[in-house]
Amino acid sequence: MYTRLTAKAVPFFMVLPLILLFLSLAMFPFGYMIYISFHDYNLAEGGSPTFIGVQNYLAMFRDNVALSSIRFTLLLVCTAVPIELGLGIAIALFIRGITGEKVIRSSLLLPMMIPSVVAGIAWKMLYNYEYGPMNYFLSFFGIPRISWLGNYTFAQIGIILADVWQWTPFIFLILYAGLQSIPRELAEAAKVDGASEFEITRFIELPLLGPLIGVSLIIRIIDVLKVFDIIYMVTWGGPGSATHSLSYYIYKVGVSFGWDIGYAAAISLVLLGSIVALTTFLIRMLRLKKSLGFE
Amino acid sequence: MRQTIKKVVKYTGVAVIAFFFLFPVYWLVITAFKYPEEWFQWPPIIIPINLTLDNFFGLKGGVYGHLTTSVANITPYLINSTVVGVVTALVSTAIAASAAYAISRYKIGGMRFVSWIISIRMLPPIAAALPLYIIFMRLHLLNTWWALILSYLLLTTPLSCWILLTFFNEIPREMDEVAQVDGCSPFKAFVYVILPLSAPGLAAVATLSFIACWGEFLLALILTSNQQAQTLPIFLGRYITGWRIAWGPLSAAGIINMVPVIIFSLIMQRYLIRGLTFGAVKG
Repeated sequence: MYTRLTAKAVPFFMVLPLILLFLSLAMFPFGYMIYISFHDYNLAEGGSPTFIGVQNYLAMFRDNVALSSIRFTLLLVCTAVPIELGLGIAIALFIRGITGEKVIRSSLLLPMMIPSVVAGIAWKMLYNYEYGPMNYFLSFFGIPRISWLGNYTFAQIGIILADVWQWTPFIFLILYAGLQSIPRELAEAAKVDGASEFEITRFIELPLLGPLIGVSLIIRIIDVLKVFDIIYMVTWGGPGSATHSLSYYIYKVGVSFGWDIGYAAAISLVLLGSIVALTTFLIRMLRLKKSLGFE
Repeated sequence: MRQTIKKVVKYTGVAVIAFFFLFPVYWLVITAFKYPEEWFQWPPIIIPINLTLDNFFGLKGGVYGHLTTSVANITPYLINSTVVGVVTALVSTAIAASAAYAISRYKIGGMRFVSWIISIRMLPPIAAALPLYIIFMRLHLLNTWWALILSYLLLTTPLSCWILLTFFNEIPREMDEVAQVDGCSPFKAFVYVILPLSAPGLAAVATLSFIACWGEFLLALILTSNQQAQTLPIFLGRYITGWRIAWGPLSAAGIINMVPVIIFSLIMQRYLIRGLTFGAVKG
């Protein structure tokens, strides 16, 4: 048999690896980031970090590219996410009862499962100005060629489109599974009461899906705020800095073009802070604490 | 009559949806099998007739010179990706399962602990990459498998723990108690009773972790610098920044990067979806 001491020790030791992992690889780097954001530390220039207070943070406000990166990232959140949500719900509702439902569901897994870089390559080819299939299909509608990768606005639309393509299936899968788990009796009872299909959807299914919609909304917002891969592969942040996401800009500043770790750390903390703030706000507002398991 | 119209609309709708979501992948796949002259043509060749395997085995001379995906070139990257992916998946699942069990059965740390674990997901990879770069630089671990494995553990363990937590919560505690009445220590109960019961969950979590590592780009980009440790996504990424891009071989490499993931996804579909929906929904 085991003693009381062992009884308490076991769970502790079982959690220990996780805690150690996080402390060393997340908490410590996090602390280091805070520390270094108050310093001037450039890996290319050598030397050690020099304390400069909040200058890195102030510099952000004077940095046009940083500001436009913030704007583009927010643009992504405000366009891509609602579209993905809307399309995901629509497809989930639409697809019920079709023969080959399972096949469709399986094939819709594809966009989000393939590595982002592969998706990026595919879209980069599609967006080619002279020979790309995108412009080819558009020509069917009499639309002249669009310079997807060379035009400021269209590059942004291009990224939004690629993101929608990649992640609508995510929303779709979650909501589709959610729909499956709604007991049939509810819909049948409503039918007996004379409800039309539309009314069933609007008044029974959608409200029941509410929490799931909320949870997937939050996950997507977090992920869009962090976006990097697809931008690197499709537009390389261009043209110019049109499609710089904040993550991408931090990459450029910190470990690519400039090696200004201090400044990059400051921007990263701002990004992280925004994500945390936004998420907490949304969870509170949408009253999702219960759905996430925090009862 | 109305039913037929509805049917037509539904099937057209489905066709459009399927086309939209599958065409880019289709395009990539056929490009991998096209001759260089046909990669970019107007009008684009949607249904290829002349197929070739050249892109997989090295272009025969021509403008693209050494930019090939001949087997020799891609192998180191393939090995790196596989090693890192498998090790991370196994270790991450073990750590996550252990912790999830402790949380599920003993409520260790309470809600705060769980929220802390989940909040790791909010961390932008780039924010972790900067200090990790410096840490690994000091430890001389840059450009090694360890740098990637450790970093990926950070990325995959929180989600795995969360998913396994929901799985374990569904296994009635009576199971544990029965095992312990029979003389097992809690740990043994975990290993011999709970783990086998949650095998699907473990498999799903390991697969998700593997897929995440297999496609991860940013951390690999920053923490590695040559084929000693670079993974497949970096191999793909390197080609894209050139001026003349060899689309055929690049697509071929893309297929190689895609195939294991697709196979795993299809096999583990049911469990993956369950994991993705946080077990909130029984798929």
